[in-house]
Amino acid sequence: MTRRRAPTTRRAALLALPAVVPIVLVVGVSLTAAALQSFGLMPFIGPPQFSADAWTRDADELVRSTLTSTYVAMVSTLLSLVVGFVLATYVLAIPRMGRIVEALSAATIPIPHVIGAGAIGLLLSDSGFLERLLGMPEAFPALVSGPWFVAVIAEYAWKESAFVALVVLGSISRSVGDLCDAAATLGASAGQRIVRVVLPLSAPSLAVSAAIVFVYTLGSYEAAWLLGPTSPEPLPVRAVRLFTSVDLAARQQAMATALVSVAVSAAVIIIAILVLRRHRSLS
Amino acid sequence: MRVILGCLLVVWIVAPMVPVLLWSVAGQWRAPAVLPSSYSLQGFTALATPDTARAAASSLSLGLGVAVIATPLGYLGALAVRALPPMPSRFVEFVLLAPLAIPPFALVMGINVALLRLYVSPPLGVTLVLVVTALPYTAFMFRSALAGYDHRFEEVARSLGASPGQAARHVRYHLLAGAAARAFFLAFLVGWGDYITTLLIGGGQLRTLPLLLGSAASATGNEQLTAALSVAIILPPLILLAGLTLPAARRKRQ
Amino acid sequence: MSPSPTPHARWRSRLSVAAILALGLTACSGASVEPAENFGTFDEVLAAAQGQTVDLWMFGGDAKGNAYVDDILAPAAQDQGVTLRRVPIADTPDALNRVLSELQAGRGDGSVDLIWANGSTFSTGKQAEAWQCGWTDLLPNMQYTDPDDPLLLNDFGTPVDGCEAPWHKAQFTFFYNSDAITDPPTSLQGILDWAQANPGRFTYPGPPDFTGSVFLREVMLSTAGGADQVPLPYSQAAFDQYAPAALRALTELEPSLWREGATYPRDEQALNTLFADGEVDVAMTYGPATLTDLVASGALPPSTKVLTLEEGTVGNASFLALPVNAADAAGAMVVANIALSPEQQAAKADPGTWGQFTALDTDLLTPTQQNLFEQLPESPIVPDYEELSRNAHGELASEWVPALNEAWRQDIATAP
Repeated sequence: MTRRRAPTTRRAALLALPAVVPIVLVVGVSLTAAALQSFGLMPFIGPPQFSADAWTRDADELVRSTLTSTYVAMVSTLLSLVVGFVLATYVLAIPRMGRIVEALSAATIPIPHVIGAGAIGLLLSDSGFLERLLGMPEAFPALVSGPWFVAVIAEYAWKESAFVALVVLGSISRSVGDLCDAAATLGASAGQRIVRVVLPLSAPSLAVSAAIVFVYTLGSYEAAWLLGPTSPEPLPVRAVRLFTSVDLAARQQAMATALVSVAVSAAVIIIAILVLRRHRSLS
Repeated sequence: MRVILGCLLVVWIVAPMVPVLLWSVAGQWRAPAVLPSSYSLQGFTALATPDTARAAASSLSLGLGVAVIATPLGYLGALAVRALPPMPSRFVEFVLLAPLAIPPFALVMGINVALLRLYVSPPLGVTLVLVVTALPYTAFMFRSALAGYDHRFEEVARSLGASPGQAARHVRYHLLAGAAARAFFLAFLVGWGDYITTLLIGGGQLRTLPLLLGSAASATGNEQLTAALSVAIILPPLILLAGLTLPAARRKRQ
Repeated sequence: MSPSPTPHARWRSRLSVAAILALGLTACSGASVEPAENFGTFDEVLAAAQGQTVDLWMFGGDAKGNAYVDDILAPAAQDQGVTLRRVPIADTPDALNRVLSELQAGRGDGSVDLIWANGSTFSTGKQAEAWQCGWTDLLPNMQYTDPDDPLLLNDFGTPVDGCEAPWHKAQFTFFYNSDAITDPPTSLQGILDWAQANPGRFTYPGPPDFTGSVFLREVMLSTAGGADQVPLPYSQAAFDQYAPAALRALTELEPSLWREGATYPRDEQALNTLFADGEVDVAMTYGPATLTDLVASGALPPSTKVLTLEEGTVGNASFLALPVNAADAAGAMVVANIALSPEQQAAKADPGTWGQFTALDTDLLTPTQQNLFEQLPESPIVPDYEELSRNAHGELASEWVPALNEAWRQDIATAP
């Protein structure tokens, strides 16, 4: 294979340019501008003046927002992985019903998150569809805008579990059948086959989708804004509130908040890449 | 047991859309009524305006624009990652993944000033930013397809007398068509369903269906219109999805 | 073929090019944009406006307002040679945000020609020099407004200075479910007492939401002993004197609120949903004009009634503001003038159309014009402006708004 690759390196580099240049430009300009604004070097009015004020003022709130966002993203990712894996195994194990589940699950992929959030709101809010179905019990918990972000997490888990199932099915459906047959002839039970064959096979795709889901839920605005409580605020809600604030000085803080969420996301992606590489070198 | 699990999964998938569908055809529906007390098509009839048609056309062209650009770029990027030596390959891979790490709102807040200063027209600016958002997905789709694709296929084709061009066209086309369809679809969704990028960069000049949804949802007593708009936004990609997958599924069964 | 650097090196140089480009694009800032034209007479404005397309940015969540602009105001503008395009937005500051972003980028050909605005949007824009000023004197229809009307001279304490043309007036209004409350309170303190006596049946939108923030200021005026007690201009001393009592009252109220005050409705719309679903019995709005229609369409229950307060509530006027970099400024002035005509103001005041209270002084109109207003049908829900605005007071200076909002967020929303 190396024989084929060596002379084509330069051509391959040219191939990469159309994709690499727009990304580098957009991301580079965007991060630079955000950083400059967060340090007061691009004010609306008056001369640019360096100040780290946006980073230090209300630093504890910034930390709390970061923790809140991390909590929401972690729980959502975990739930999405579990439900997504169950979906995928069900589709693999049960032929006819599995196909229906697969089709329905794939059908939720095109639903934008903003609509998903509206739908979950209608379902879970006070006097929402679920409470009405249950006959309006007095003790109905505060799911929408409650302290634990239940509705927000439900929306992410609902949308992203379908995504996880799609990725897992796409990566293992070809190889898993033969291996499971082999395991079955060797006397493995259904549970053993899932734990010993399906789970290890899907581990890499689970890891990749975990990173994607985590980063997506960390940076997603619509659901957190529509379904979250007044306080504490996740990072995107805080950033957009400050960005659209009528207080001119708030935009610096908005940029600082945006950069914090970029940093957290980048850290998670790097961890995921390291874990994947470790996994690959072990196997 | 299996049936119960299957039913639970179906309920999990379907439940959130039930109130949306009911609201889209509800006349009046107030708590504690479990079902609407009257039904009407007012939500859908309110959609039949030139305004909505224009917004649908904008959404469609934005989705197609993003997909038409991001799909081939993702393919080229994936090819490059495969063909380059390890170091630059890793760098390209990193760049292709980078937009994932940047929340859309952060990307938009930073880039907006530069786009304005460069006199990039709003539709073009929105398309550019969304292409960058979509590239990790399209590149990922082609990367995983290429990982399962073997150059030996092409070599076999060539040893059977095919020219290099023929081999690439025929063999690759069939092996990568599925990945291309998936990538195109995902990129289309990025443009079709976007809200925050269109809002902040589009500057009101680009009015897509999600933007109409946003302003409809910010009013009291607008549930019918909001739900009908939601249905109108979800249906076209669903039809596209069915068109892309059903023939393949049928072929597989045969 | 000439030798080329390795791909890696090339990327590195490309990265630095991008970084330099970014700096160049973004570093120089605060570019000042001057209004392109100055007009001497309205005829010059009319001549310059021919064929222009005016983008009016306004809150898009009010179907009646949208219909009024599209079906009544836009055709009238078309008759005078100006195309009016309505740009719906979810929140008014979005429009100012767009103007400021364009100014920051040094753009003189702005995409925003008119904004339906008032309060902090206006004062922030004025602080950032984002508005054209002194142009409203040119408008012939300004003659029908009262030159001494305090609501039209100051917008939340910020002098209007001809930077925006009046559009309509509004009155902050509470409403209640008459099936649940037979003996409604008659003062703001009464509402708070009622809320305390009926746990879980009252709440308000969380500031910085517009409506919630008005409620917060009304509570401050009430705890201070009346609207005349608190100075309109903002000062730290006045804030320290009057804000704590309001925050204390709301903190005490918190356990009696819906959900024990653990969370607050996101906005007026969310509060209305709670009201319609019977979760709370009192709600509030700065746009009482919409109530008639919301009850008629069934979005609010038929038992909805307006609750007037003895001490009166706050009132304001809203305006059409013209950004300094508007590409179609002349057309925007023409539209603002048409919007202020007695015919348009009367049409807009019809509860069946939009029901917005007029910004004109009807005493200054001709009898025929007055007749347009007298023939308006009465709303079954909303009393007329005279009654709603009895004992009304004006808005505090807009600097009060962010200060109180922030204090509320720290003391009440964030506190454990």
